[in-house]
Amino acid sequence: MSGLKELQEKFQRGILAGDDAVLAEINDSAKEERETLFGVYRYAYVARLAEVLADDYEVTHSYVGDGTFAKLVKAYIAAHPSDRRSARDFGRHMPAFLSATAPFAAHPELAEIASLEKALADAFDAADAEPLTVAMLAEIAPEDWPKLIFTPHPAARRFTFTTNAAEIWTALHNEAAPPKAKTLPEPQAILVWRQDVTARFRPIGPEEAMMWDEAVQGTRFGVLCEMVATFAGEDGAELRAATYLKDWADTGMLAGYQIAARPSR
Amino acid sequence: MQNDKPPFLGFGLGLRPQHYSEILNGDPNVDWFEVISENYMVEGGQPMRMLDQICDRYPVVMHGVSLSIASTSPLDMEYLGRLKTLAARVKPKWISDHLCWTGVHGVNLHDLLPVPYTKEALAHVVDRVKQVQDVLGRRLVLENVSSYVTFGQSEMTEWEFVSEVANRADCWLLFDVNNVYVSAFNHGFSTNDFLNGVPRDRVVQFHVAGHSHEESHIVDTHDHPVCPEVWDFYRETVAHFGPVSTMIERDDNIPPLADLVEELDHARGIAREVLGSPRLEAAE
Repeated sequence: MSGLKELQEKFQRGILAGDDAVLAEINDSAKEERETLFGVYRYAYVARLAEVLADDYEVTHSYVGDGTFAKLVKAYIAAHPSDRRSARDFGRHMPAFLSATAPFAAHPELAEIASLEKALADAFDAADAEPLTVAMLAEIAPEDWPKLIFTPHPAARRFTFTTNAAEIWTALHNEAAPPKAKTLPEPQAILVWRQDVTARFRPIGPEEAMMWDEAVQGTRFGVLCEMVATFAGEDGAELRAATYLKDWADTGMLAGYQIAARPSR
Repeated sequence: MQNDKPPFLGFGLGLRPQHYSEILNGDPNVDWFEVISENYMVEGGQPMRMLDQICDRYPVVMHGVSLSIASTSPLDMEYLGRLKTLAARVKPKWISDHLCWTGVHGVNLHDLLPVPYTKEALAHVVDRVKQVQDVLGRRLVLENVSSYVTFGQSEMTEWEFVSEVANRADCWLLFDVNNVYVSAFNHGFSTNDFLNGVPRDRVVQFHVAGHSHEESHIVDTHDHPVCPEVWDFYRETVAHFGPVSTMIERDDNIPPLADLVEELDHARGIAREVLGSPRLEAAE
C-alpha cells in the first residue's frame, strides 16, 4: 500500500505515461474492471486538453484539417504537460512548438498562424487602460509636441511574419479558401491590439513599424519625426508621423503620454 | 475570519460567456451566479468587464477548479494570492472548490482526481483547508466530486471522509447532487447513505447537473440536461436539507440561456413542492 504522496505520483504517471502500477491500488467495481474505470481519467486528460487546443487554435485547426490537427495535438500534449492552474495557458508554447517540431516546422506559416491566434487571445484579456484619444492629443500645446513620449496600450504587440500567415488567417476566419502558403519577399510587420473589447490585428508598412518600435521604447515625438524623415524622405515626414499617430489613437493602441522634461537623445 | 453561515441565495446558474449579453440585456429569472474563479484570473478586457457588470446586478459566488486541496505538493501561494485578489473585486458570498487533487510536481491534470479515504489523507486535507482559510480569511466551501475508481487502502466511506473534513477543518460543504448520484452508481453505494451521512448544518450550496451514462459506469460530463433520476434525488436532498442555494451546472454543449432558466425553474418548483412557498420565501 502506498502513502498518499506515492499514490498520487503513481496515479499521475498512470495518466501521463500510461504506467499501470496504479492499478494495483484500485478496486474493480461490481460492474466494471479497474482498467476501464481508470481509463476514464486517462481519456479525460487528453480529451480535455485537446478541446482546449481546438478552442485556442481554431484557425490553425481549420488550416491543417482534422487529421493533422489530431496528430499535432497529441504531440503537443506529450511534449508539454500542463503546468498552469488555468487551462487558458496550456497552449502557450504552440507557436514555438510548431516552429521547432517536425513535420510542422517545414511549414513556417503554421507557427505564424498559431502565433497570430495566440496574440489575439492574449490581447483579448490583457490589462485594461484608458485609451489615449485624438481629442486628448488635440489639447496638447504645440511647443510640447516634440517632447511627447507615448505609452502603448497594454494589449498592443508588434510581430514580424515571414509568410502570408495573416492573409491565410483572414481567409479562414471568413470561412473562405485560404491562399497558398508562401514566403514573402520582405518580412511583414503586424500590430495586434484590442479596440474596446475586440482583439484586432493589421499589417503595417516598414516605416510605421519602425516608428511604432521606437515609440514604445520611449522615443520622443520630435525624434520620431526625424527618424521618419531619415527612413523615407524629409518631404511630408511630419505629416506621415502625425498620420501614424492619429491612426494609433483612433483605434485605441495608445494608453497615454508624458511630456519629457528634457531632450532624451 | 468570516464565520457566519452564508445566506440562502435562491436559485442560480453558472455564468458562461455565451450568455453574457442575454443576461445583461434581459432580466432572466436567475437569483445569483456562480463564476469559475480561474476564468477571471486575467488582467482585463471583456471577461473582467462582464464580471463587474454581473457583480453589480447579482449576488455572485466563486467556484474554483484548481485549488488541489488534497494534493501532496505544496500549496500554490501564488494561486491563492490571485484568488484573494479576485475575491476582493467580486466580493463573493462564498468561495468554493473541490475535495480532490489536480496534480503533483507542478503538473495540472485539469481533472478532479479522487482521494483515498484514509486517516493520512484526512489529516493532510484538514491541515490544508485550515491553511487556505487562514490565507483567505474566510471559511472555504468544499464540493464532493464524482469518481470512477475506489482505492483498496480506503478506511472509511466517502461521506464519513467528507464529514470529518468539514467538522475538523470547520469549513462549509457544497453538496453536488449529481456527483453523489454518479459516485453511488459507480461504486454501488446508496445515495441516501451519503445524504444522511453528511452534517446538515454545514451544507451551503447544491449543484445539480447532467451526466453521460456508459452502462457500467457514469461519467460526470455536465453536457446534458439533468436526468429524471437526479431530479428525484434532488427532491430527497431538498427534503433532507431544507432551503439551500441551488445551481444548475452546465459546462459543455451549452444550450441557450432560456433552456437553463427552464431547468432552474424546475428546481424551484421541486423545492416549492417539498418545502412549501412560505418556507422558501422566509429563507430568501
